[in-house]
Amino acid sequence: MMNGKELLASANRLLEKLRKTRAAGQVKELIAVADRLLPKSELTRAVWLASLGFSVVLLLLPLIVKLDGRPHADWEQFLGRFHPLAVHLPIGFLVLVPLLELAGFYRPALREAASFVLGLSFVCSLGAVMLGFLLAFGGGSTGAVVTRHMWGGIALTIGVLVCLLARPFWESDAVALVYPWLLTCVLLVLMYTAHQGGTLTHGASYLVEYLPAPVKHLLRLGDSAQAAPGSFYAKHIHPILDSNCVSCHGPASTKGGLRLDSYSQLMRGGKDGAVVVAGNAGNSLLLHRVTLAPSDKQFMPAEGKPPLKPEEIAWLTAWIQQGASPTATKLAGIAIEEAPEELPIKPVGDYSALMPEIVQMAQGQGAKLVPVSHNPSDGLILNTVDIAPTFNDAQLAALMKFAPYIVEAELGRTAVTNASLDTLAKFSNLRALHLEGTAVTGDGIQKLAELSQLTYLNLSGTKVTAAAAAQIGSLKNLRHVYLYNTPAQPAATAAAMQPIARKTE
Amino acid sequence: MKQHPLCTDTEHAENVLELPIPAGLKQEWMALENRRRFLGRAGKVLGWAAMASLMGNRGASGDAHAADMPGAQGPPSPAELKLPHFAPKAKRAIYLFMSGAPPQIDLWDYKPNLAALYDKDLPDSVRGGQQLTGMTAGQARFPIAPSHWAFKRYGKTGTWVSDLLQNTGKLVDDLTIIKTLNTDAINHEPAIMLMNTGNMNPGKPCLGSWLSYGLGSMNDNLPTFMVLQTKVNPKENNQPVSSRLWSSGFLSSEYAGVGLRSGGDPVLFLTDPNGVDREVRRKMLDAVEQINRQTYEELGDPETNARIAQYEMAYRMQASVPELADLSKEPQSTWDLYGEDAKEPGSFAYNCLMARRMAERGVRFTQVYKRGWDVHTNVTGTLPILCQEVDRACYALVTDLKQRGLLDDTLVVWGGEFGRTVYSQGGLTADNYGRDHHPRCFTGWMAGGGARPGITYGETDEYSYNVAKDPVTVRDYNATILHCLGIDHNKLIYRSQGLDQKLTGPVPANVVQGLLA
Repeated sequence: MMNGKELLASANRLLEKLRKTRAAGQVKELIAVADRLLPKSELTRAVWLASLGFSVVLLLLPLIVKLDGRPHADWEQFLGRFHPLAVHLPIGFLVLVPLLELAGFYRPALREAASFVLGLSFVCSLGAVMLGFLLAFGGGSTGAVVTRHMWGGIALTIGVLVCLLARPFWESDAVALVYPWLLTCVLLVLMYTAHQGGTLTHGASYLVEYLPAPVKHLLRLGDSAQAAPGSFYAKHIHPILDSNCVSCHGPASTKGGLRLDSYSQLMRGGKDGAVVVAGNAGNSLLLHRVTLAPSDKQFMPAEGKPPLKPEEIAWLTAWIQQGASPTATKLAGIAIEEAPEELPIKPVGDYSALMPEIVQMAQGQGAKLVPVSHNPSDGLILNTVDIAPTFNDAQLAALMKFAPYIVEAELGRTAVTNASLDTLAKFSNLRALHLEGTAVTGDGIQKLAELSQLTYLNLSGTKVTAAAAAQIGSLKNLRHVYLYNTPAQPAATAAAMQPIARKTE
Repeated sequence: MKQHPLCTDTEHAENVLELPIPAGLKQEWMALENRRRFLGRAGKVLGWAAMASLMGNRGASGDAHAADMPGAQGPPSPAELKLPHFAPKAKRAIYLFMSGAPPQIDLWDYKPNLAALYDKDLPDSVRGGQQLTGMTAGQARFPIAPSHWAFKRYGKTGTWVSDLLQNTGKLVDDLTIIKTLNTDAINHEPAIMLMNTGNMNPGKPCLGSWLSYGLGSMNDNLPTFMVLQTKVNPKENNQPVSSRLWSSGFLSSEYAGVGLRSGGDPVLFLTDPNGVDREVRRKMLDAVEQINRQTYEELGDPETNARIAQYEMAYRMQASVPELADLSKEPQSTWDLYGEDAKEPGSFAYNCLMARRMAERGVRFTQVYKRGWDVHTNVTGTLPILCQEVDRACYALVTDLKQRGLLDDTLVVWGGEFGRTVYSQGGLTADNYGRDHHPRCFTGWMAGGGARPGITYGETDEYSYNVAKDPVTVRDYNATILHCLGIDHNKLIYRSQGLDQKLTGPVPANVVQGLLA
């Protein structure tokens, strides 16, 4: 490695060479500038070389001590966390410099201060960069934004240093333009770096999140409008686009520059402009393309995929015609039959106090109470499969203590009879009742009407008659009723039958 | 027991002294015996000392590597694993495993445009430098073989299904069809291991064993996890399936799948021999259990306990399996639904019917293996035979579960270990072709507890070669199946070889929300 003197000597040789090639006319001016700019005294030369060395060290630092994404020593993180605090100091100083320089036209004393402030901002920048590096290295941060912010900070520090070196020439009117331009560049780098830092702290969309929507649209920024969950778009339009279009018009493949995987993308359109004109279905390219003749070259979906169904086109048309709203839940003239929604599950009380007895039952020979899940409020399942042939009405009645916690009673193929319906009517949180293959005939089944949570009732293979089955109609919340292989629904015809599903009001 | 006096078996030394032999000889024997015993013992003691220092302070527990995990004295109970982690939609599952890999292009993944590309070369850009199997890597051409069969739309959803599956097609409104399953393996053994155990290498527990371990039994009289193999049809190209597919790996062997035979007695030697009644059998088992308990106390091997549990299970199965396999009480409607094939033990239809009966009786996980899907050649000849065996039975099983109210809390899964290529293996003729292994996309379906009915998930490209949208990896798929059964796949773990092992392996897996009801 070269020492300082050798470096100095080689720099001088370079300078001599430059002078000798002065003959070249075009570079004459440049050389003249360089001659004025380049340091003449040993001291300034040393300062320049020291600055050069310092800059190289600073530039090499991230390459030597790499950000490896792993957290390191605690003290590094501790100090590093002062970075967000310290970083505002050099920013303030640096912004002050051009103000002081400008104000210097009116009050020269202020310009004198500018040099000092610039020096301060250099020292503070260096400190902030060091703390920032400790924060990233110690905390194990990586990623594109971190890297950009880091290089921004380093570039800024070196820039300020160069400003500091260039300023005397400007002040002495030797070189007029270098320093102002440098300072402008440094301020631009400052803005860039500060923005990256802000993105790190607050997230990418923080700055423009509340930008007025028209401006946002103009700038094509971010998701200006989100579709509301439960809206007509979310429930009906998005699924159509998702299953028919998104494989070619999505994030993976964006044909024609058009993406249809979100509401905002849909409204933004593609290379040919907007594809949806709110309130005007006739002028919406999207509808035009899906309603062409399938043999048409422009027909969508392309590549031989099945065309949209008539009702899907009807929904799209109505939705666009009525404003292409991301929030509207109902459209005039469109009625879609929806499957009945499942009831939200009602938590049961905590049975932990009864746990010793439940565990004892689990180890015994009789019926078992099995937790639905690790969470006690999900309730218990009554399991009788091991002793089904002998489990009777009396044994069920003996479980009354546990009744409020039982959400599912598996009584299939047990010896219980209609008499148990009285007991079961008190299982207030019962959601599913299995009585398949029992002697239950359905007399008194309406007693179960008190069970507001009951959604599942299995009476397959019982002697339930059509008359008793009709009574089941009084059980309001039932969604799944099974009467396979009963007098009410003989097995021969059952194979073709669907389980009864009822809508809620 | 007769023992020769000069026998060197030191365990029987006491007997020697009682023998009618001269006292001098006895004394000589004693000296000899003591020296032998000393040397023998000394050797062992040194060994034990070395062992103890190697094992550190963990040697006291029988299962040294498990000593620092919950339940070191036995397998962790569901209470310790906090299972199920949330209220499950499905209590049990039936997995119809189509071993050999069904061709998705001929059954589910409808590509009408391929007809125009008959015998054209598959563009290299589609294959993208993929390494092929040795069976087609040497082929000069990769001619596109469109499906021989027409497709029709079924159900309210209008899903396209091949004419080979006209019965299964009627189910589409209840099915969750996944077109974008994809796997890392291209050959049967690693791929089938990966599907079942989440790892291509043997030694890991399979899905059924994890469920057994995590959720336990719902029925004391039948195994938690049962395996049904379908009888081999010699007209098909059958790949072997072996018991390591239902092995419990490093979990206790009581969680391994219990296979029922595909012909004759479902379980061999289950009936007591003539002259041995239940009482005698009970006494014998009690005695064996006592001996096994002593062995366990002596050696501390948890496998001994597993063996005790298995003998007990076998004893209870002596009563429960004949009842399970007795189809005489099935109504005529069952045979109308499943077909006459179902009366023949070992047929796929019979196994589907058995799977329904097991679901009714509280078997947690039933896996039915159907081999023969490895159609490298003669697709048009073999595929109709395969589909005839499988199509109606699948329809019958799902329909039967549905009409009996079992589909609400039973998850049915259908699928193989990978897909098959769009290009023909070997010569392509106007009416026949072959298809090679294809790991990049294949179709499977789920139905029932927890799965979202009436949807087709994911899309493949126009050649059914690459995934175009919403890929589902094997680990994502297994994570989703576990989710339906109330299990967070990241929390169902077992510490082995220094790792918290899980079904989905160390690579992050995601529950596929789009598949869930």
